[in-house]
Amino acid sequence: MTQVISIQPVTRIEGHARIDIHLDDAGRVADARLHIAALRGFEQFVVGRPAEEIPRIVSRICGICPWMHHLAAAKAIDNCFAATPPPAGHLLRELCQVLAHVHDKILHFFFLAAPDFLLGAAGDYAARTIMGLARREPELAAEVVRMRQLGQTMLERFAGKAIHPVAAVVGGFAKPMSEAELRDLQAGGQALLDFACRALDYAREKVFARFEDDDLALGTIATGFLGTVDGQGNLRFYDGVLRLMRPDGATSEFAAADYARHLAERVEPWSTAKMVYARAWNEGFSLDPEAPRGVYRVNTLARLNVCDRIATPRAQAELEAFRARFGRPAQGTLLAHWARLIELVYACERVLELLADARIIDPVVRTPAEPRAGRGVGHVEAPRGTLIHDYTTDDDGCITRANLIVGTTHNIAPMNLSVRRAAAGLVAEGEIDAELLNRIEMAVRAYDP
Amino acid sequence: MNREPVILAFCCNWCSYAAADLAGISRLQYPGSIRIIRVMCSGMVHPEMVLHALNKGADGVIVVGCHLGECHYIKGNEMALARAEIIADTLEDLGIAAERFQLTWVSSSEPERLAEAFRAMSARLCALRAPATAEAADAAGEEA
Amino acid sequence: MSDQARPRLSCEWLHACAGCEMALLNCGDRLLGLLDRVSIVHFPLLMDHKYGDRAGAGFDLPRAEIGLVSGGVASREQLALLRTMRESCKTLVAFGTCATHGGIPALRNQWTVDQTLRTVFPEDEGECSSAFDGSSFLDRVYGIDEQVAVDLFLPGCPPRPETIVGVIEALLAGEQPQLTEKSVCEHCPTIRTGKGQRTVRRFLANAEYDPGEPIGSMRCLLEQGLLCMGPVTVGGCGGGETPLCIRARVPCRGCYGPVRRNGNQLLDMLNALASNGIDHRAIVDRRSLLRFSGAHGLLKPPEKRR
Ligand code: SF4
Ligand code: SF4
Ligand code: SF4
Ligand code: FES
Repeated sequence: MTQVISIQPVTRIEGHARIDIHLDDAGRVADARLHIAALRGFEQFVVGRPAEEIPRIVSRICGICPWMHHLAAAKAIDNCFAATPPPAGHLLRELCQVLAHVHDKILHFFFLAAPDFLLGAAGDYAARTIMGLARREPELAAEVVRMRQLGQTMLERFAGKAIHPVAAVVGGFAKPMSEAELRDLQAGGQALLDFACRALDYAREKVFARFEDDDLALGTIATGFLGTVDGQGNLRFYDGVLRLMRPDGATSEFAAADYARHLAERVEPWSTAKMVYARAWNEGFSLDPEAPRGVYRVNTLARLNVCDRIATPRAQAELEAFRARFGRPAQGTLLAHWARLIELVYACERVLELLADARIIDPVVRTPAEPRAGRGVGHVEAPRGTLIHDYTTDDDGCITRANLIVGTTHNIAPMNLSVRRAAAGLVAEGEIDAELLNRIEMAVRAYDP
Repeated sequence: MNREPVILAFCCNWCSYAAADLAGISRLQYPGSIRIIRVMCSGMVHPEMVLHALNKGADGVIVVGCHLGECHYIKGNEMALARAEIIADTLEDLGIAAERFQLTWVSSSEPERLAEAFRAMSARLCALRAPATAEAADAAGEEA
Repeated sequence: MSDQARPRLSCEWLHACAGCEMALLNCGDRLLGLLDRVSIVHFPLLMDHKYGDRAGAGFDLPRAEIGLVSGGVASREQLALLRTMRESCKTLVAFGTCATHGGIPALRNQWTVDQTLRTVFPEDEGECSSAFDGSSFLDRVYGIDEQVAVDLFLPGCPPRPETIVGVIEALLAGEQPQLTEKSVCEHCPTIRTGKGQRTVRRFLANAEYDPGEPIGSMRCLLEQGLLCMGPVTVGGCGGGETPLCIRARVPCRGCYGPVRRNGNQLLDMLNALASNGIDHRAIVDRRSLLRFSGAHGLLKPPEKRR
């Protein structure tokens, strides 16, 4: 008889998930699986809708990163209708995207993940929260809460709606930026950048410096990586080519529109979530923990692994230090947190860079579009990883087919491997208690599913 | 469906309800499952009343008013006509067969025309397979 | 105040997207103030309280004075969780439009679960998962009041941050929270002349306005011929000021749900168009008018004919 231990729900992540740990007669881990079960049905219910409405429908896939879905869909529908946004349209969209990255990274690091490191993985669960952090370090917590709010209100003041946005429209953006808004955003952007640098210094001292070998080994697996870079190999969030890296570091690049030739989706009989694997490697797919095949990761760590450099100075300096220490590709699952804060610095620097581009206040922000039959793929880098939206329209410009690959879908396979690895490593050491189970969850939390 | 379809008829006071009265006096034959509700004018039947009736178990709804130009409130039946278009269009949007709704004009001297409209609607509904909604199926106490 | 003495707050999400929770976390200083006054006993996004032994009797949730539930109900598991929330919370709040009216996920009520499964998992992508035996799903997405008694409805996709905190603070003070019953239009400063286009067009080009001028000098979007659902949507998204989408110069799509809680945004909108002499047939996808309120049986698959 095997025994199954469930962790339900996996907490401090977005949405519902469960971990089942299967033990054999000897009490060793026979298997461990992460279940994410929900039938949202977005691919179904966008069918028949006028394509220009899609960006404001699919945002509801995720309330933490609605801008990413909003923008990936807007880019895809541009392509369906062959509408090319004017330069200001793209710049404004990207500005919103990087601002959304800022709030997301603060949320994920400080609200969801940091309690494990700053308050201890063991101990009373009720204290291991942002509320506990507020009691232990009230100034830090207050600043974190305010900076997140600042990022969100900057978005709301300029773009109307911050959660489930509406301002990106087929052909560009719904409103231009005024001089007054520009100055307001510049001041906010500078405050965010200062905070991001302090946050990284703080985390380096209080969290990352204490990463023991044990921590780095937690849930560590050897996989490939996927992310987005520009023609010079610089890290990009909004556009660029997809770069797929093998576990040994060799890379290949492709346009997002060709994703189906390089990536493939499949459903495992035990899971209710789709998985994606690297079709281009021609090795099929296997979740065998000893010899996984076709498995790659997306998200913060993946992006920093695949890019050659970051085009903004502070983030680039951090990347160099990170790489000098962990090599390329870095495989440690918990390093995703470190990468997250480097990306936070990049996002803030990018906000200021975009605001310094004179074209951003150009009043021409949208190219009128004509509905037509077509197919369009749009992609962006979401905090959780590469996000691909693929739509087909009929003659009236209404959706006939949709395929969505979200960050978590790419990461389901590696998360399962990490959970299995973490469980096997920890359970062998002894009694199964609350701390041990939380450590297994930490391997999932690093992915920010 | 084994039972006779339940039809709710909104009849305006001035022409159509008078026609219904006359149909009764003249012993014209029409299905017994028709429930007549007297309203002052066909123009006061809001689309939500129609939807409510269908959701609560009616198999069909018929709105009966005076002939165009003869409404006692001048333009009430024109309003009914505009609303009927909306109802007819939206029933399908709401997952309900359009046959479940009808608007018709009957003068007080046309009881046979009214009886015929009732018979025709009943026959049309018999041809449909299931009650309008699952809720309606529950209300009618049968399997959808 | 010690932790024990504080009123307890319990939060759970069902068929939801986390946006409602994000809105709560966007409250800044007011959030910090609130955290000082309540004791959060269950909140999967922020704390590690678990459901307990699954093999045992369902879910183990702590008692609380106030419970917030976001998301509609789409699976048996969500239903069981919702019932447990109802039992364990004194005041249960339907948090966000998904909970009050189904929200965007209820758009799938136009299709059966089987159809949706076949679309999302086409056969050529390997086996359709056996974990999807269909029985784990309810036949459609429900608003939570279709399944349990609800004490307070807080619509919005998501609700406004200050409104959320305001509601919790009012409940803590033992008061009935005041939410607006006016429509989005009544909060909208755009210019209305009563004379507009006779038709509505798709939002393929931006509205006409002078970007240098305040919103109050822009002509009403509906009068400009853009479909705007302000008239049939309950207000509040702008917190008493300009509605959020209008600030972006984009028409309202109704995310707060109907003005009257049992209203039908599709019927109401067509009625509003008809009474203003605007051709409702120009709307390309009428069912989209129920995109936030398709629960309560409003959206369903087309009736099958014999
Ligand atoms: S109401 Fe909107 S924000 Fe809230 S859970 Fe539903 S989709 Fe997300
Ligand atoms: S219809 Fe739209 S633009 Fe016009 S007043 Fe209402 S909300 Fe404002
Ligand atoms: S304007 Fe309408 S769609 Fe936009 S936030 Fe307000 S209620 Fe929601
Ligand atoms: S009174 Fe008969 S239709 Fe108006």
